[in-house]
Amino acid sequence: MFQKLIRFLKAFWHIFSRPSVYFSLGFLTVGGFIGGVLFWGGFNTALEATNTETFCVSCHEMRDNVFQEIQPTIHFTNRSGVRATCPDCHVPHDWTDKIARKMQASKEVWGKIFGTIDTREKFLEHRLEMAAREWRRFEANDSLECRNCHEEAAMDLTRQSPRAAAAHERYLIEGDKTCINCHKGIAHELPNMAGIEGWE
Amino acid sequence: MKLTRRDFIKTSAASSAAAAAGISLPGQAQNLVTDAERTQLKWAKAPCRFCGVGCGVNVATRDNQVVATHADINAPVNRGVNCVKGYFLSKIMYGEDRLTQPLLRMTNGQYDKHGEFTPVSWDEAFDVMAEKYKAVLREKGPQAVGMFGSGQWTVWEGYAANKLMKAGFRSNNIDPNARHCMASAVAGFIRTFGIDEPMGCYDDIEAADAFVLWGSNMAEMHPILWTRVTDRRLSAPHVKVAVLSTFEHRSFELADMPVIFTPQADLAILNYIARYIIENGRVDWDFVNKHVRFKEGKTLIGYGLRPEHRLELMADNADDPGGANDIDFERYREFLQQYDADYVSQLSGVPKRRLDELAELYADPDTKVMSFWTMGFNQHTRGVWANNMIYNIHLLTGKISTPGNSPFSLTGQPSACGTAREVGTFSHRLPADMVVMNPGHREFAEKTWNVPKGTIQAQPGAHAVLQNRMLKDGEINAYWVQCNNNVQAAANLVEETYPGYRNPANFIVVSDAYPTVTTELADLILPTAMWVEKEGAYGNAERRTQFWHQMVTAPGESRSDLWQLMEFSKRFTTDEVWPRELLDANPEFRGKTLYDVLYRNGNVDAFGLEEVDGEFPNDEARHFGFYVQKGLFEEYARFGRDHGHDLAPFERYHQERGLRWPVVDGEETRWRYNGEYDPYVEEGRDIQFYGHPDGKAVIFAVPYEPPAESPSEAYPLWLVTGRVLEHWHSGSMTRRVPELHRAFPQAVVYLHPEDARELGVRRGSEVRIISQRGEMNSRVETRGRNRVPRGLVFVPWFDASQLINKVTLDATDPISKQTDFKKCACRIEPV
Amino acid sequence: MQRLILIGIALLCASLAVFAAEGDLDALRGNVPLLQERTPEPLYPVENQDLRRSRAYPMQPPTIPHKIDNYQVDLNANRCMSCHSRSRVAQSQAPMISVTHYMDRDGNFLAELSPRRYFCNQCHVPQTTAPTQVDNTFVDIEELLRQPQRNGGGG
Repeated sequence: MFQKLIRFLKAFWHIFSRPSVYFSLGFLTVGGFIGGVLFWGGFNTALEATNTETFCVSCHEMRDNVFQEIQPTIHFTNRSGVRATCPDCHVPHDWTDKIARKMQASKEVWGKIFGTIDTREKFLEHRLEMAAREWRRFEANDSLECRNCHEEAAMDLTRQSPRAAAAHERYLIEGDKTCINCHKGIAHELPNMAGIEGWE
Repeated sequence: MKLTRRDFIKTSAASSAAAAAGISLPGQAQNLVTDAERTQLKWAKAPCRFCGVGCGVNVATRDNQVVATHADINAPVNRGVNCVKGYFLSKIMYGEDRLTQPLLRMTNGQYDKHGEFTPVSWDEAFDVMAEKYKAVLREKGPQAVGMFGSGQWTVWEGYAANKLMKAGFRSNNIDPNARHCMASAVAGFIRTFGIDEPMGCYDDIEAADAFVLWGSNMAEMHPILWTRVTDRRLSAPHVKVAVLSTFEHRSFELADMPVIFTPQADLAILNYIARYIIENGRVDWDFVNKHVRFKEGKTLIGYGLRPEHRLELMADNADDPGGANDIDFERYREFLQQYDADYVSQLSGVPKRRLDELAELYADPDTKVMSFWTMGFNQHTRGVWANNMIYNIHLLTGKISTPGNSPFSLTGQPSACGTAREVGTFSHRLPADMVVMNPGHREFAEKTWNVPKGTIQAQPGAHAVLQNRMLKDGEINAYWVQCNNNVQAAANLVEETYPGYRNPANFIVVSDAYPTVTTELADLILPTAMWVEKEGAYGNAERRTQFWHQMVTAPGESRSDLWQLMEFSKRFTTDEVWPRELLDANPEFRGKTLYDVLYRNGNVDAFGLEEVDGEFPNDEARHFGFYVQKGLFEEYARFGRDHGHDLAPFERYHQERGLRWPVVDGEETRWRYNGEYDPYVEEGRDIQFYGHPDGKAVIFAVPYEPPAESPSEAYPLWLVTGRVLEHWHSGSMTRRVPELHRAFPQAVVYLHPEDARELGVRRGSEVRIISQRGEMNSRVETRGRNRVPRGLVFVPWFDASQLINKVTLDATDPISKQTDFKKCACRIEPV
Repeated sequence: MQRLILIGIALLCASLAVFAAEGDLDALRGNVPLLQERTPEPLYPVENQDLRRSRAYPMQPPTIPHKIDNYQVDLNANRCMSCHSRSRVAQSQAPMISVTHYMDRDGNFLAELSPRRYFCNQCHVPQTTAPTQVDNTFVDIEELLRQPQRNGGGG
């Protein structure tokens, strides 16, 4: 499979690296522009299309594991029906970050092709690694994807349970904690938490 | 200082008036008391009232009330831990609506099947009841009376009932609700080992390296044993836990190997494991050659439905479901060949790799394995086979009867073993594994009971499901239900139970502490004392017999089942119930009451009131004038002594936190059939399965056969029923405890969220759950403790306002006659 | 005493009134005849006020005064302990688990939560707002002690 790919790339480069013989500069410029527009449109469409839950759960790895797990949680059904889909939490909303994340996601496609987590057992083996990556990202961006919906300034603590209000007051507003510090495992099951901060 | 009854009424009337006025009067007997005395509670031990684990509790009483309970630190079963139900035992007797007077259906002062429940005296109640019984016995004979008892009866209540029915009324139509619970386990034990009940004990848990739960949800149904399994798993990192079920439940929280399989495919998985062991050369040949023989069971044995049912007409061996032929190992091996990985994996939905991992737990000679099962195996139309098949695996590998190697059948009721099985309150059994079909056993029982030879009938009586059918068909007409709630429990309520109880030809008596749906359908309700309102004994799942004292008196006119049975027996003379031939041959029995014959026979009344512990009340002993409980127990114990079922002397059990039989020379037995531990194993033998004359256990070649009913186009979903942690069985006790009620207030239908979406319903939606037999309204639950796979729903049965047994199918295992409550087809419609 | 009064009242009612037929006795059935179906009770929410409730007696495990939806307690993690363990209560301000929870089967104290106590839900349960179907006349010991002492009963 790998050799086939190399052969294909070689042939492509062979044609691509030579100057055009048959087409005029004008044609190439206009054609390039139109092609660019088409490409850009297509790219964005593809970007949007891959940025949906339907796309995510079209892979059985997602459908059978994390998607099953989110369904009984508050992020899937709740009183007001505002719900988080996969990209809401796992894809940054800002364009550059989004592209960066998408490029990272190509690694996941690789994982898909090579079946890194194609059984429940393998998924569970890799869960800590995958979860830890997301926790790190949330810690680094101050839980940005949480805050896209749950804005600290917009929280009415009097509408929260006393326990939640006290914790938010102490650790979020006055303290220096970010959402993910306390809210691990709210949408998917936790990996083995031995040694993770707060779970000693 | 003693108060007379009159003084007492005066004082309490004055204080209640004062209480109403909000002032406190000094009591008439107010002594100067020290503070220590003031706060002192009286503590005594008792086994828990609920499941078959048999936890020890300490019960505090004061002023004739239970005021606290806690887990007994000294009880070896639970060592100071209870489940949430056990912790709330203090409240189970205090539901506001305790029944306190007999209630008879009457119109214009006369009994009327369509009348309204009217309070009557015990005398009047027994008058009407005796009149009905006598008429039925006169007109139709003993086969038209019946009794449905309980694995919650105390040992002596079950024993007294067994005598009254089998020797007194000469009817074998007595069966316990344990028929719904572990009849398949019993038949499994008898077929494989020739003797009932587990060889191992709970001590196996601390010695095992692996646990396999076959369809059992111990985390909710046997919580305290689960604490022991959890303790072992989390204390020893090498220990593995495999959990097999048709849906994901709380026990999966501890699972290293979670396995979800298609209903009924457990049979194929079991045969796959046996095949794996053989084909991979992991048979313990030394063990198998010395201790095992092989049989092939008859197949196509039907589903225990009514004989005219299509499925029964198609079943070749419905008339001899338990039949089997001797075979050799080679035939067994050949038989197993069809259970290869492809077939079993496809049938069960379990990946091959998982099947092999599971099989390896059993195959690996260095892993000590404990298998647990309860209703998943037992409530199964092939439940006896499933029991046989799990023993097959343990026998092939020699993993049995040694610490940590233990196929362990759990029980649901506190005395399913102690009362239903050991006392033999089944329609075919006598105490200590004897059966009515065996002339020698009958003779032994008749001698022990001091009743004439020929008193006990040789034909097995009607089992639980058959009793309901016979009630409907008007073949059993006088029927007594004690200590259970069968209208809520038995399958197919609408078509079988309901018409049976309301059949105008029948007189139905129900003894209970609380109103239940069964008392609703009764003609006469008898208010009944419960738990520590009487002296009692229970036997748990590890053969442990445990006693408790009466601690408080029952409210109003409630009386214990024992009192009711014995008092009712006074109303019959032998001339009224026994045939002329029997009395002609034994004229000394003429004119005697059944009470005299059965309970004043020189054994039961052998111990006087002076032997009763003066520290505790004993209403039955005071009423009858002798130590009834001791007399019954000592007579009963004669069946088992020197017979593999030895019990210790009566008094010892009031001292000990229970003892595991056989108790020989004062020592309990932890591992039966093992020469190191079991005095019944012959000198010099390591293992001896002495339940069979040749000392061998039997491996059964039995196949996978499909369930009685599977999902179809019209009924596309599997329906599985079961229980929840907070409620015990039909909930008549636990739902009256506010904390337990509020923890799990009503039954729900656990449904997969995607199935819910397809049906157009959501969490909380009202739905109708429908089968070919009936329908029930409930609400959808897509969250919570159970996660069901697509195409399957789970509904708990504790809720009297949601009677799921309207929907369930009364198909049984044809060998054990136990109903399969785990598999039928249903559909769900939004309301 | 309260119980005696209640029994008295029950007896009085029972002797004055006759019970009606099927469906009227069993409150847990909701007084609906057996072959009829009623609208099931709604799914009641869990009380989430964090107010400690009094215990019926000292050995009763406290009920949980908050929601525990999706709290994971399994081989991987124990959500309850992330607030209620000894080392976490300073941060969470939650009550610490009882000292008995550090004891093994034989009564020895361990360094951490005893594995036999790992699954909190076996003893501790949340409470929904579901109304009581049948009242319970259990009498609190405090109430018994306050009452004038009396002999009687069989205790």
